[in-house]
Amino acid sequence: MTQLVYLVPLFPLIGFLINGIFWRKMPKTAGGVIGTLTILASFIVSLGIFFEVKNSGTATMVHLFDFINSGKLSIPFTFQVDALSSLFLLIITGVGFLIHVYSTSYMHEDEGMVKYFAYLNLFIFSMLLLVLGGNYLIMFIGWEGVGLCSYLLIGFWFKNRDYTNAAKKAFVMNRIGDLGFLVGMLLILYTYGTLSYQDFFGQLKGGQVIVSTSTYNWIAICLFIGAMGKSAQIPLYTWLPDAMAGPTPVSALIHAATMVTAGIYMIARSSALYNLAPMAQTLITWIGLATAIVAATIAMKQYDIKKVLAYSTVSQLGFMFLALGVGAYTTAVFHVMTHAFFKALLFLGAGSVIHAMGGEQDLRLMGGLGKKMRITQITFLIGCLAISGIPGFSGFFSKDEILAMAYAHDPILYYLGVFAAMMTAFYMFRLYFLAFTGIFRGTHDQEHHLHESPWAITIPLIILAILSVVGGYVGLPAVISEHHALASYLAPVVANTGEHHMLAGTEWMLMGISVSVSVLMIIVAYVRNKKPAFAPNTGVAKFLENKWYVDELYDAVIVRPIGAISRLLDRFAERAGIDGIVNGVGKLVGWGGDRVRLLQSGQVGFYIFVMVLGIIALFTLGFFWIR
Amino acid sequence: MYEVLFWFLTIMAIGCALGVILSRNPVNSVLFLIATFFAISGHYLLLNAQFLAVVNIIVYAGAIMVLFLFVMMLMNLNADVEPQKSRLAQLAGMIAGGVLFLVILAALRTASLSVLDKQSNDIGLIKNLGKVLFTQYVLPFEISSVLFLSAIIGAVVISRKEEVHSTVADGSVNTSDIK
Amino acid sequence: MKAIIAATISGVILMFAGILVKEKKNAVTLAVILLLALLGVNIYEVVSTPAAAPQAFFNNMLRIDRYAVWFNTLLTGCTLLYVLLIGKEIAKVGSHVAEYFALICFILCGLYILSGYNNMLMLFLGIEIISIPQYILAGSDKKNLKSSEASLKYFLMGAFSTGILLMGITLLYGATGSFYITNFTFLQADSLNVLALAGIILVMIALSFKVSAAPFHMWTPDVYDGAPTAFTAFMATVAKAAAFIAFLRLFQVAFGSLSNSWTLVLSVITAATLFVGNITAVFQQSVKRMLAYSSIAQAGFMLFAVISVNAIAWQGIIIYAVAYSVATIGIFAVLLKLKDYTYDGFNGLAQKEPTLAFVATIFLLSLAGIPLTGGFMAKYYVLSAAMQQGHLMWLVIFALLMAAISVYYYFRVIIAMYFKPGNPELNSPVTQTDKFLLILTCAIVLLIGIFPQLFLSV
Repeated sequence: MTQLVYLVPLFPLIGFLINGIFWRKMPKTAGGVIGTLTILASFIVSLGIFFEVKNSGTATMVHLFDFINSGKLSIPFTFQVDALSSLFLLIITGVGFLIHVYSTSYMHEDEGMVKYFAYLNLFIFSMLLLVLGGNYLIMFIGWEGVGLCSYLLIGFWFKNRDYTNAAKKAFVMNRIGDLGFLVGMLLILYTYGTLSYQDFFGQLKGGQVIVSTSTYNWIAICLFIGAMGKSAQIPLYTWLPDAMAGPTPVSALIHAATMVTAGIYMIARSSALYNLAPMAQTLITWIGLATAIVAATIAMKQYDIKKVLAYSTVSQLGFMFLALGVGAYTTAVFHVMTHAFFKALLFLGAGSVIHAMGGEQDLRLMGGLGKKMRITQITFLIGCLAISGIPGFSGFFSKDEILAMAYAHDPILYYLGVFAAMMTAFYMFRLYFLAFTGIFRGTHDQEHHLHESPWAITIPLIILAILSVVGGYVGLPAVISEHHALASYLAPVVANTGEHHMLAGTEWMLMGISVSVSVLMIIVAYVRNKKPAFAPNTGVAKFLENKWYVDELYDAVIVRPIGAISRLLDRFAERAGIDGIVNGVGKLVGWGGDRVRLLQSGQVGFYIFVMVLGIIALFTLGFFWIR
Repeated sequence: MYEVLFWFLTIMAIGCALGVILSRNPVNSVLFLIATFFAISGHYLLLNAQFLAVVNIIVYAGAIMVLFLFVMMLMNLNADVEPQKSRLAQLAGMIAGGVLFLVILAALRTASLSVLDKQSNDIGLIKNLGKVLFTQYVLPFEISSVLFLSAIIGAVVISRKEEVHSTVADGSVNTSDIK
Repeated sequence: MKAIIAATISGVILMFAGILVKEKKNAVTLAVILLLALLGVNIYEVVSTPAAAPQAFFNNMLRIDRYAVWFNTLLTGCTLLYVLLIGKEIAKVGSHVAEYFALICFILCGLYILSGYNNMLMLFLGIEIISIPQYILAGSDKKNLKSSEASLKYFLMGAFSTGILLMGITLLYGATGSFYITNFTFLQADSLNVLALAGIILVMIALSFKVSAAPFHMWTPDVYDGAPTAFTAFMATVAKAAAFIAFLRLFQVAFGSLSNSWTLVLSVITAATLFVGNITAVFQQSVKRMLAYSSIAQAGFMLFAVISVNAIAWQGIIIYAVAYSVATIGIFAVLLKLKDYTYDGFNGLAQKEPTLAFVATIFLLSLAGIPLTGGFMAKYYVLSAAMQQGHLMWLVIFALLMAAISVYYYFRVIIAMYFKPGNPELNSPVTQTDKFLLILTCAIVLLIGIFPQLFLSV
């Protein structure tokens, strides 16, 4: 079965090609069905692969063809099938399939539906390439591919100027991160002469190439910069909330469940490297923690339902990086999985709400939706409970494990983490109470229009809700069960260092603290939002509502100075070009041959003058710098 | 005899070169320049480079300078319309020239003044040149014909009058640029 | 060697065809047939040249190896593609259609010389053979003053750089007593005398001018912008690649062992080229002018192959030259279909001509170096060649930064095509043949990106 792994990305690629080529002529339903069925096929193959890997527990390399052979360097196009990649395969194709089903209904009114499915299939294809690749180069190809799809899908409703700007922002920020990834990759290539995971990690273990810790740190930090961009960490996180401009299922699939976790996948994959790079680990820990807290504070004061969820995603990604930083790679992957379930659920629920509200996203204009949309309400509540870490729901297990690992590493990390978790419970239930309880605050028309969504929307919600509950039982805490199913599954691939052996009492106490603050915050959220009043925010609240003014800060500190520098350069470097335009106008108007001749010769003279200056400069350099 | 000729040609070359830059009338300048070329050709002869001497006269003194004279006369340049250089340009020219002079002087001061040992007397003859050109350097010699062919095509393409019928076609290529 | 003769004969045939063939269309057809024949001769040369040692011709004036003929074959293929895609537009430039093709054949002849020269005289002749036809092609649109201006400027500055090249060759002859580039190798880096170093730098400057590297790039925007677009496409691609193979050959074969005496100078040129090309391209309003600056930027990347003295550099220049040429020819073919060359002229192209917009997107992605396109592989090869040198890390990082900037101006075109409403005016309708050829070009770009080995396997 593992030899058939090429089928997994092949199906979405076929779907993309069919939908992409015939998107003008194809009926909408056909596009949706093709798009969805291809993902279903991939999912079935992935299931087979998953169970085979689970039984054998070994990694298989599937060699497709020679990609690059130059000199000593050889990079084959190889897929690596092991515990980590097969788990991600399941998450991507499984959640992807549900979201495809959901989209068939959600996007049905849209005229570009077939194109939408083409993009979505292309995204799944790229994402599968990313996780299946047997070396960093193939991962990078997938990495760029998902970036491109994310760009296309954020700007899907391109007639709106803000949306295209958001797409551009996402793309540019991701490119900054990609640059780090690329440099890291080149560093690996330069130091070890290979990009394949097996060779690279083998050499790390074997220690044939003696390098200093700082080299490990540089490689690890460069790769982490890549992860920062893709997984929206400080300081490159601002694109993710803006990315909510895309259709809601896209937000669920790309900007919550799969693509943004690519950074976590990459670091978990490179765990052998990160264990050797303590400085990089510290950096990851603190950036993750800071992101978790900052994003959570912003989420508390947002009124756009999708923005709240977006900041919540950023915050949860921060938690995952915290886990990676303390060396608990399995835990991070565990949280990726549970988060994929409940965050996809929350986004899809939000989509269902937006659908019912006729496109309205402002929480201030909702309220009391629960009466009209029972299924959405209940599934959404399950999602909220899961993300808040209420015992029994999946989020509890993974988040608690992260916090426990953090405590084992350094208690201060734990307290800050609990602080972020506390805010998580607050803003999620604030959202829940504002949207689903109380009285309806929208227009009369909207109230009349309110209805439960069709089955194609509710069934994915129900399945995801079930997964959000049971998904956590693959990783029970040590005090409850000795057997951690996920950890033993991933053990051959991921080199954890953050093993904790704490007393059962301590662990119960930690759990107790985090659960009780979450419950407390839920109650606070209920009290404060029972009868909501929306006075304009002042002071700290206004600061939070404006997202810490980070966008403005970036604009002032980075965007504008760069603009100014380039304009300055333009003025000098382009003087000749501007002269050229002036000359052109002059020629048409004057037509005086003599004048034109003079102007022309003047220009070439200037060019040659620059050349001579260059010659002098290079001669100076050549003779006085080298000797 | 050899010494006398050498000094005579040297003084003539330097004197005429000064004449080129000092005379007000451009036509005189050109005539001085021709005289300079003749002097230098004489030096070539002294160095046993007969072919070079002849080519120098034919190409530089003959073809190129006549072209210069034509241009001068056709454009009716004379001393009165010579554009006045600005003070700054004069100063810059003086400094640049002075610096160059200093550099050459400094380089020559340390140079060893050894006499080149004369090789066989017939090295500069056309016969020998032709031999080398058609044996060792036959490929560059032949390939340069491609260069001249393209130059000829260029002359034809650029100088021949364009027929009228193609206006519609090429007018569209650059309309946006003219705007 | 056979290819040089064949290219010359093709040029002469086309020259006479200028008198005999009256119909412009027939001239294009004749050119295509001759280029096909030329491609055949090149393929024959690839097959017949032994893989191991280079063959010497005419007292070692040329040393042609399998690599050189393979490079020639690929670029002849690019030229054929160019004539197929843009031939119709060439016919619109002026009335001397057959002569234009003759000049293109002569440029190919220059390319064949430059990929195999072993003597500085041949280098000089080759450089001149590719330059003079370019001066003429730039000025071929005689009724357009900008075209004449471009030609004159190019000629004047080209003459200046030729002078510098000759001076450099003279100094090198003075230092070594030889014109043969394989004889330069007895120079030792530690005892390199002033004459030789000055000669190397002068030759470097002259060749930098030919490949439009900063600060000797000033002619490029004016010439590429002023010249008829149909010819800009050729000048910026195949002709430039010819200059690059000459550059690479000289600095690898002749000066490779001296690299620590010139690497710094050339890396400064490279950095300046990348910087000027990319930064200035950002501010252009006309896509044609943007492409002129982008060709400067791309030259900066190709210079990486020249800097790195190793085997990957040779492979890198092949991949880069082909990937860049094919994508650029493609994007110029799209540009030629449009009336308005500004960014706004591309608005809404995706609605009106989806095929055109799609292929243009692929070409631009390739130029920007996005993975799975040829441009990515090209950048990857040249940068990894530089990485192998070890001490050029700073330059590689700088280049990556500049590549990130380049994404901005290439994507501006994509955004205009897909995300902005508009109704672009077309010069001529897009026929089925056009579409087929463009998609074929597109497929080549992707092929390079996925199976780069195919283009290196010789």
